[in-house]
This record gives sequence, structure tokens and C-alpha cells, in this order.
Amino acid sequence: MSAEIQNNPKPLLSAHGLVKHFGSSRVVDGVDLQCRSGEILGMLGANGAGKTTTLRLCYGFLQPDEGSVFIDGIEREKDPDGVNRLIGVCTQDDTFDTDFTVQDNLLWFGHYFRPRPTDLETRVRELLDRFDLSRYAKAKPDTLSGGYRRRLMIARALVHQPKVLFLDEPTTGLDPQARMAVWELVDGLRNEGLGIVLTTHYMDEAERLSDNLLVLKEGQVVSVGAPRTVLGDLVGEHVVVLDAKIPQAMAVESWLEKEGLGEPTRILNTWQFALDGTGLARFSAAFGELRFEVRPPNLDDLFLQLTDDDS
Amino acid sequence: MRLYLAMTAWQSWAVLRRHLTVYLRNWHTAALPPIFEPIILLLVFGVGLGSNIPDFDWKSQNVSYLAYLAPGIVAYTVFMTAFFQALFAAYIRMHYQKTWDGQLTTQVRLEHVVWGEALWSASLGLAYSVIVIFVLVGFNLGGWLDLHWSGVIATLPLLFLAGVAFAALGLLFTAIVPTIDHMNIPFYLVIMPLGFASNTYFPLESDALLAQAWLMINPLHHLAEGIRLLMLSGIWSYHLVMAVFLFLLMILILLPVDLRLLRRRVLGER
Repeated sequence: MSAEIQNNPKPLLSAHGLVKHFGSSRVVDGVDLQCRSGEILGMLGANGAGKTTTLRLCYGFLQPDEGSVFIDGIEREKDPDGVNRLIGVCTQDDTFDTDFTVQDNLLWFGHYFRPRPTDLETRVRELLDRFDLSRYAKAKPDTLSGGYRRRLMIARALVHQPKVLFLDEPTTGLDPQARMAVWELVDGLRNEGLGIVLTTHYMDEAERLSDNLLVLKEGQVVSVGAPRTVLGDLVGEHVVVLDAKIPQAMAVESWLEKEGLGEPTRILNTWQFALDGTGLARFSAAFGELRFEVRPPNLDDLFLQLTDDDS
Repeated sequence: MRLYLAMTAWQSWAVLRRHLTVYLRNWHTAALPPIFEPIILLLVFGVGLGSNIPDFDWKSQNVSYLAYLAPGIVAYTVFMTAFFQALFAAYIRMHYQKTWDGQLTTQVRLEHVVWGEALWSASLGLAYSVIVIFVLVGFNLGGWLDLHWSGVIATLPLLFLAGVAFAALGLLFTAIVPTIDHMNIPFYLVIMPLGFASNTYFPLESDALLAQAWLMINPLHHLAEGIRLLMLSGIWSYHLVMAVFLFLLMILILLPVDLRLLRRRVLGER
């Protein structure tokens, strides 16, 4: 977490009671969220949990049926142009203007904002340098590799020097090296004081980048806060991992059922389940002879739990 | 009302400017069809076919087929150009190139994108019609035609208005066709019949009530006949007034429908 957060208690982005229906389906159901300067808010949830829709409500692609969005104190509904001047958006899909070169994509994007970004050409050169795109300045975006396309998408979202940046699954489909390069760039932007809202399917990405997590399930916020707090709330303090082929498997299943913990999560030939401190003590007492591993919970556990619940 | 006011918004003109910039980069190839198509049509139909058609009586005036055809091509050009831009080119930008999605992450909203597309389609339709008019001037100078030019410049705003109206019709199909292959349906079932059954290429005159009603509500018919009367006789006719009225009506009705359908298609709003 950057020092900016402590210095700026007032949120740059705040959304209250967001609701969105698609037909009879309530896709977003009363979501509240906040993001401060120098903070990355990671939005997590299984497919269909409402992450992208919530993000789209915040950046104005969709209009909420209920609720309101404020950017730097300005209400979106009252001043959409003013709000859109303050935000940058990097969508999940590449939305370049394929009729233009890399450089002209950045320049032309600047034409879609008023007040016009000052000294636009210098700003574009800065972004090309910073995102390592200078050598591709005259190339068409569709000739770039996946990693460089993502860089261009993020660079384009920053042309007008926004205060809040929305990143919708920014590294999906990238190789590990390209992902880490994007992480470095995003981390740098946070350190410069941008408020960043990020959705991702990659748990390591959310864990490494996010200062706060917001977990969505069926359009509702199920937990929000620092990653450790969210994990403790939703998963538990400890995760027990054991071999599923042990002779005591049925006894473990019965014990879990008796404790009201449901079925363990099955991954290949292992079982895993979360326990709090006293639960772990009781489990150890009941199965003293059993060999098992105990580790702290991670976001993969959270994700598996969310998707298990859905199924 | 917000939709109509969006026509004057800077965002709508920024979208138009983007299309103009892309077009001007390829002007040397893009300008070939509007220059050569009317020349070919006038030579093939007007001079070639027309030489086998005796002069005929039109509105109490003896005219050659070439003279009859020339103003029709002006009207047909603005109709086809604006419609095609708003259908095919806009669809490609919306669906394949995702240009709209990119624009919509800025201060540009969907109503600006729609107006930008309509204004651009109309501008291109007007520009191509002006090129056709220049070709007709050449035919005039060559002695093949003897047209009145005094009122033609005054019709340019009407041609632009026609372009906006036909673009609004094109955007309607852009909003509803499931895939690009389905564009053949509006093209062959609506556009081709409308384009030809409008006194553009041949006189469609009948006492039948249905034909009369069709011509009365057909804006392209009024545009073609209005320009023809102006070019052949120098007469400002009621057709021009009817054309203005019908084009305004089309814009007022179609653009909100376009926006509603495109909201559903592009934004996923239901």
C-alpha cells in the first residue's frame, strides 16, 4: 500500500448501492465500493458474479438502475462528461482503432476528451517511451504481440492523465513474462497516486497487486477489505491438505459433516478444507495418527470456495 | 431531446473528424468510384441505352433519356452512399473493429457515436453527389446535356439532410442484422426496390392508388423529382418541400429507434 493512501483518506471512486438488471436477472445487487488515490482495489468473483458489469457501471458504459457513482466527488449521473474526463478505461477486449498506427491511436484518443490534454504530442511520446512502445510507434496495433497490445491499451487509457484507472482482466491470455511486465507498470501507476480498480481471474495477480479486495458473488459483495482479512472471513485461518486415498477418508468426511463444514474440496488426489484455530486443534485430536499438511489460505482457496458454492 | 442536441456536441464532430481523417488517407483510391460510377452510368444508360430511346414527354416537356437520368443519379448517389456507409462501414466499425467500444470508454457516448456516423455518412453522400454534379457539368460543357444550374447549389443542404435521413435508415439495419451476411436482406428487399422505384432511373407514373400513395410517401422520389425539375426546368417544386418534410420525419423517428436498438446491441442494455 502506498503512502498516498494514508495521505488521502477521501476516496477517488465511491459507488453506493449499485443495482443492475438484465431482464429479470439482478446481475448487480446493491454493490458499494471505494478506491482511494494510490490504491489498487481488486475485484474477484467466479464467472457471472457481476465483476465486469459492476466495473462497467462505474466507468459509465452501463447506467445503473439504482445507486450512484462518484469520481473525485463528482456524481456521474449529474456530470457524465466531467466524470469521464477523470477516468481511464482498459477493457477486457482490445478496442484499438485499427485504421491508425500505435502512435495515432494514442493521439486520436486524446481528441475524445475536453478539456483537450495539454501538449498531447509530448504526452504521447512519454507514454510510448514509458510503455516501451516507441519502436512500434508507426506499426498497426494488430501486428503487436499480446503483451504489447495490453501495454498499448493501458497507455491509451492514460493519455488524458486520469485520476482513476479501470483495468478489466488486463493480463488475460498473456505469457508469464508479459504478465509481470504489466504488473510492474500497474504498480508504478499506483505509486504515482492513481486509484486503480482491477478485475482478474488470476489469484496471484490479485494477491500481488491489490491493497484491498472486493469479493462478489451473484452480484453481491460477500467480503471487502485487506486480502488477509477477506481470506480469514471467507476461507478460514488454516487450510488442511491431505491425501484423499487414506484409509481414514470416510472418517474424515464424517467428522467434517458432524462439524458442519460440508464436503472437502477435491483437487486431483487431495482433499482440502479450511479450519479455524480451535477446529484445527479438534481435528488434530481426532486424527492424531494422520499425516496432513496445514498451510495459510490463499486466494485460490477463496476462488475454489466461491465456485464450489456456485456449483 | 438530448439525442437531437447531441448532433451539435463536440463529441459527435470528433467522431466525424476521425472518419474523415481515415478517409482522406486513402482519398486517391476512395475517390475513384464516385467519379467513375456516374460517368459509366451516364455513358452506358444515358448515352448508350438512351440513343435507342426516343425523347419523351415529361411534365409537359420533351426530354432525352440522358437528361432525365442525370438528376436521378444525383439523388440516387446521396441515397446509396449514405445508406451504405451507415450500414456496412458502420457495422464493420461497430462489430469487427470495435472502434465504437474504444470511443465509448472516453467522453464520447453512444448518441455521439450514432450522430458521428450519421453526419459522416451524410457528408460522404453530399461529397459524392457534388462529384456527380461536376461530372454533369462536364457533360453540359460537352454539349450532351443542357441543364439549369442556378438552383443546384441551393439543393446542397437538402442533399445533406437526405444523407442524414438515409444514414438513419442504414443504422436501423446495422442495429438489427444478426451478421454481416444478413445485410443482403435489407439491401435486396428494401434498398434496391426503393432506389429504383423512385423515379431515379425511369419514370414511374401510374394512376393506381397504391402507386400514387407509394410515390407520395417516398422521400427519394420527391428528392429525384425535385432536383430534376430544378435542373431541367429551373422550377422550385413542391417535391423539394415534401422531401424536406419526409427527411425530417425520418430523422425524428428513426434516430431514437436506432439509439434504442444500438443500446441493446452495443451496451447490452435491455
